Amino acid sequence: MTIDLLKDTGTPLAQQRMSWKEMVGKPISKLDDDAFTRVRIILMNGLELDSLRTKQVALRMNRDARVELAQLMRVEQHQATTINWLIGADHSPLETTIGYEQAAIEITASVAELEPDTYLACAYRYALLEDFDHLYRYSALLDRLEGKDANNIVQGYTDIVPARPTILHHRAPEHDLLRPYDSKAALATKLHAVTLTGAEFQTHDYYMNIGPLYADPLARQLYAEIASVESQHITHYGSMLNPDESVLEKLLLAEACEIWNYAACVEQESNPRVKALWERFLDFELGHLQVALKLFKDFERRDPAEVLGNGRLPDFIKFKSHREFVRQTIARETSLRKDGTQFVNERDEGRSSTAYRDAVNADGSPSSAVSETYSWTPGTELMRADLAA
Amino acid sequence: MEATTPGHNRTGAAVSPSEIQRMQDAVNTLSPPTPISTRQFDTERLAYIADADNVGSIPPPASLVKGTLKKGLARLKGVSPNLFLDKLGERIAFERTGTRLYDALISKYLALSNAEGDVLPPAESVFDAAGLPGEAPASAAGETPLETLRRIRAEELGHFRMLCDSTTQLGGDPTAQTPCADVIATASMGLVQVISDPRTTMAQSLNAILTAELTDNAGWELLEELAEEAGQSDLADRFSQALGAEQEHLAIVSGWLRTLVTDEAGTPAV
Repeated sequence: MTIDLLKDTGTPLAQQRMSWKEMVGKPISKLDDDAFTRVRIILMNGLELDSLRTKQVALRMNRDARVELAQLMRVEQHQATTINWLIGADHSPLETTIGYEQAAIEITASVAELEPDTYLACAYRYALLEDFDHLYRYSALLDRLEGKDANNIVQGYTDIVPARPTILHHRAPEHDLLRPYDSKAALATKLHAVTLTGAEFQTHDYYMNIGPLYADPLARQLYAEIASVESQHITHYGSMLNPDESVLEKLLLAEACEIWNYAACVEQESNPRVKALWERFLDFELGHLQVALKLFKDFERRDPAEVLGNGRLPDFIKFKSHREFVRQTIARETSLRKDGTQFVNERDEGRSSTAYRDAVNADGSPSSAVSETYSWTPGTELMRADLAA
Repeated sequence: MEATTPGHNRTGAAVSPSEIQRMQDAVNTLSPPTPISTRQFDTERLAYIADADNVGSIPPPASLVKGTLKKGLARLKGVSPNLFLDKLGERIAFERTGTRLYDALISKYLALSNAEGDVLPPAESVFDAAGLPGEAPASAAGETPLETLRRIRAEELGHFRMLCDSTTQLGGDPTAQTPCADVIATASMGLVQVISDPRTTMAQSLNAILTAELTDNAGWELLEELAEEAGQSDLADRFSQALGAEQEHLAIVSGWLRTLVTDEAGTPAV
């Protein structure tokens, strides 16, 4: 499957209608589907929601494109619904959380390997080690609150161990920022940043919605703590995006990003029913890109090739275990810290982060408390032979 | 509807032993086992419990609001009127949700019987299997399973309305949500999720209803005792009758479940 962003037209926007029953189809099986089917669902829901978000911002900033933006958003809304409703109701919010962190880890690891810009690649690895640590903390909560093994969600693909401890993720806001890519950056670089920003946004919003659903006080604290870090990650990835891009240029990139990711999903999906959905939505997005291309040409009077290059899609995200890459990154970069937009050694961390961290951790660290002495064990820590009955 | 059969379940350590070994290698390197302590978890719980507000208050009796508390709750003996109202509210909530659970269960039964024919035995035939003393009640005689399901649903609704009348007689407001009503509804959320999920089988749904009926039986027993203790013999009689009906529901649900898992394994009902 070779897609040309500048030539393939997909499904015309006017033909992209879905009924409520089409949107609410059969969910995946938590027990039988591959973990990476869930990872792709989580990713694509995040990208649809971010595509909506980008267009809502565009609506506030652009008079010319209002009608087209409204039309595009209606379809994106229904695509997001169709995708997100694939998650079965037997996932507890905490089990879905484990899925979110696995998605963050494996997608970020793949992007870090693909990213041609060495500075941004380091930035991906940096946040990777934090989402990786979140998986460990949430796994401890799942074990100790619900009595469940997180491996039944990650299915052996992703290690459940600490990395850079969550207690150290809390930075002063000025140290969350990164240097943005510039207009000459590779299309891959731009799509990577748009993808991770959308994924983190979704994770943050999910934690903010489900955090209050927990009764347990430490669970409520843990979601409060990690939602705050995910908010930092939105800033981390969002600040990669070139702030000098016009609104319509961002629209073009958002559509290209969805195409790139849907194409990757089509190529790698193991569930035939879900694969058919990815194919359908890939065609929808090619139709959306046609609208974005026309707006870009009509109102900006610019050649889309300035943004999309020769129209070929960059290498796809690989939906697979990145165990060895993550292990190497843990070994080499766990001690990295931030000072402004720079990655520095522990001793050179921006001082305002220390003061900030002292304040938020003043009454204790939820992530440390929940995972005290926690070692992941198949079947939960209650299976451990040394545990007194 | 599909039978629950062996397949490509991807959970558990045995599915991918080499990957699990690598996960354990990572654990041994990066978070090696030490004696388990959940002290900090426990400490947080204790601190929050000590400092917690309650989930909410018991609504004051309507007659108390009007300032004319001459009958009803004022005549209760030996039982806290507020506690009695709270527990009445709990049963009101449970019977109301129970009616809705049976609505969902009847849909599941109809879908299954439309596709597969009747998979449940008549209710009267399961009494021995349920191990209950005595004969099958007359109410179950000659009923089809669908008629039995609809009768049970009607009885849940009847209990709900009887409780509303009892609460009103005592000066309470049956439409208010008492703290125990709120808590039992929270506890029941999983039952609603299981029975309303199109993927769950009849047996899995009956298992969830069994949880409800067991709780319901214990709830009616307690309410009857409270009414006796409070000197409310009329109420106690009504509650005793409801308990009898609920005991029958429990026996039927339990019997159906036992029949399905012993005789129908591998069919779409199980």
